[in-house]
Amino acid sequence: MKPRFLTGLLSLLMPAMVLAGEYDLTVDRVKIDTGDFVKEGIGYNGKSPGPVMRFKEGENVKINVTNNLDEMTSIHWHGLILPFDQDGVPGISFPGIKPGETFTYEFPIQQAGTYWFHSHSGFQEPDGAYGSIVIEPEGREPFRYDREYVVQLTDKHPHSGDRIMRNLKMMPDYYNREQQTVGEFFSDVSKNGLMNTVSDRMAWGGMRMMKADVEDIHGFTGLINGKGPSQNWTGIFEPGERIRLRFINSSAMTYFDIRIPGLDMTVVQADGNNVQPVSVDEFRIGVAETYDVIVRPKDEQAYTIFAESMGRSGYARATLAPEEGMEAAVPQLREPARLTMADMSGMAGMDHGSMSGMDHGNMDMNSSEGMSGMDHSNMEDMDHSDMSGMDHGSMVMGKEGPSDPFYAKGSGLVPTAANGGKFLSYADLKAQDPLYEDREPTREIELRLTGNMERYTWSINGVKYEDADPIRLKYGERVRFKFVNETMMTHPMHLHGMWSILDVGADQWNPIKHTVSVQPGTTVYMETEVDGPGQWAFHCHLSYHAAAGMFRKVIVEGGPESTQAKTDVIAKDGGEV
Amino acid sequence: MNASKLFVAGMALSMSATAFAAGAHDGGHGHGATSGEPGKASEASRTITVEMYDNYYEPEEISVKPGETVRFVVENKGNLVHEFNVGTPDMHEAHQEEMMMMVEHGVIQGGKLNHDMMNMDMGNGHSMKHDDPNSVLLEPGQSKEVVWKFSDKGNIEFACNVPGHYQAGMYGEVNFE
Repeated sequence: MKPRFLTGLLSLLMPAMVLAGEYDLTVDRVKIDTGDFVKEGIGYNGKSPGPVMRFKEGENVKINVTNNLDEMTSIHWHGLILPFDQDGVPGISFPGIKPGETFTYEFPIQQAGTYWFHSHSGFQEPDGAYGSIVIEPEGREPFRYDREYVVQLTDKHPHSGDRIMRNLKMMPDYYNREQQTVGEFFSDVSKNGLMNTVSDRMAWGGMRMMKADVEDIHGFTGLINGKGPSQNWTGIFEPGERIRLRFINSSAMTYFDIRIPGLDMTVVQADGNNVQPVSVDEFRIGVAETYDVIVRPKDEQAYTIFAESMGRSGYARATLAPEEGMEAAVPQLREPARLTMADMSGMAGMDHGSMSGMDHGNMDMNSSEGMSGMDHSNMEDMDHSDMSGMDHGSMVMGKEGPSDPFYAKGSGLVPTAANGGKFLSYADLKAQDPLYEDREPTREIELRLTGNMERYTWSINGVKYEDADPIRLKYGERVRFKFVNETMMTHPMHLHGMWSILDVGADQWNPIKHTVSVQPGTTVYMETEVDGPGQWAFHCHLSYHAAAGMFRKVIVEGGPESTQAKTDVIAKDGGEV
Repeated sequence: MNASKLFVAGMALSMSATAFAAGAHDGGHGHGATSGEPGKASEASRTITVEMYDNYYEPEEISVKPGETVRFVVENKGNLVHEFNVGTPDMHEAHQEEMMMMVEHGVIQGGKLNHDMMNMDMGNGHSMKHDDPNSVLLEPGQSKEVVWKFSDKGNIEFACNVPGHYQAGMYGEVNFE
């Protein structure tokens, strides 16, 4: 892993030195200890997570990857702009790396920021095959900090990825502990009335979904930099310092809501790209996304980094402290969000006729009407220190509940800050220094995100990967992708090799990302300047959704001739995905 | 738009310091005990050019003598609106709330200032004009001067209080020689 800088003789003759670094990674079987359980997994250089790979913008990197497993492997450099045959997706970029073989990746580093890498073979990534990438910019950063830490999250499950997928295929609610019970049905009846409750349940049943499917995998331990909550990863600081935290969500399936009670977080980067700084109390990080924040703890005390899963089925926890061993209070998990009918408005199977008689007020759990249905007699037992967990946003905003343009209107999923403060929205993300000129897209491609929860099939436009034709793009065009989420799950859509210009309504200031979350019942647009010749993967980054078929191959036609020739060779070689 | 810009500039010059946000006057502005007071250009011992980029200053620290009057030429070389404001960290913090209000009311929009909105009467004679003598708020490409007489000592920074910018590190230190 130690970079060997090969400046070489040539560079002496050249006016500008080209930086070149060589790095070694081994892919190994490892033990992963979460504090809750120990399991076999896969790691890099003997550990999971793997190392922090530190590169410099403008550097040419050479990375030797040795496969010590008894199965094929691969490494995908998530978010890096590189030649397509270095992108590391078996069957699309290259055939993969055979057991015992060393594959050498070689590509120029053309960007800066926080990224990560992971296996793109089978379920090796959920099994532990991931690490982080930090790229120092050529010029100065447009912000300042005294120290920095990578904060890499994952959702470590005691079962292997293969086993989880088998169980999901057999019984899609195998890992869902939040399903409504008979008791809950009767309490809903007393609260909402029999007819509303029955029609609500019938609507859900008709959509082949289970009511609490905010997350489909429960029972994990949240890890930060490989440490479980009890192992408490700790970052040291001196009071008054500015600390850059590079959050990376390397989870298989889990979105996290992140806060550091007592500290404002100023978001300065999303998916490796600088954004106009925005100070928040809490933010939601989708699977595969990254957010860089700057915090400035002024007091000589410990602060908890608390990352609650979106469905509140688990959490990760770490600490910032002036000294090792100090800790701060760890908050309780808040109540899980419940989907409302609004979150399912995009579902194709819905019988809209039956909805006309329904009382929408009762369905919005965040509405003030819902609150008035609370049993106040139980309030005496409330621990008031938990009051911060209350949904203040919805209390002040009345019947409409909290809103965010990237969630369905009336959605039960809109996140609110635990302290009643500011929760980051995609709408807050504005490019700091736009990479591309704003221009009209040449065409629009609609991608309906589809699925059948009862059979655990996930697809795009109703067709799963193995039955689908590739998406063909032309080099030089600007395509507008229209994602229509017809499922009740959130899908983090990841296009390899080219930037996703997320439409937040800010025109030339729209941010560029590599992963775009599409909430249930919503339509989200992103545009792509088709500037990456070759062929690329495009998929939902939830591991088990991608494997079930919410995945496409994208072929970019045209561009430099040499790339076209290489595509043909790989197409002939084939290889598994 | 150009005509109204000129008008606003004229107005701002002719006015003395008034609060632009109701109730936030105390501590938020340049009358603080420790940062100094508006200076006369004729008494300035020297000129310091401060360039504002997205989101940092060049230079990021300056040295002054206690009681010195300095003429600052502030140039916005970035693509976003930026502020140059001389004050203590507490003053900046208080001012950030006002600036947040300016963003929420659409006065500051990325790279543009809405001058009509700035001049709108918010009641009680208050407006969201940004015309205190210890600061300038500039659109990309603009340049303005601040003449400031520093106090004897104190914890003083020049800072951009456009929401998020100070927190991201857009400030500079004033060291006393």
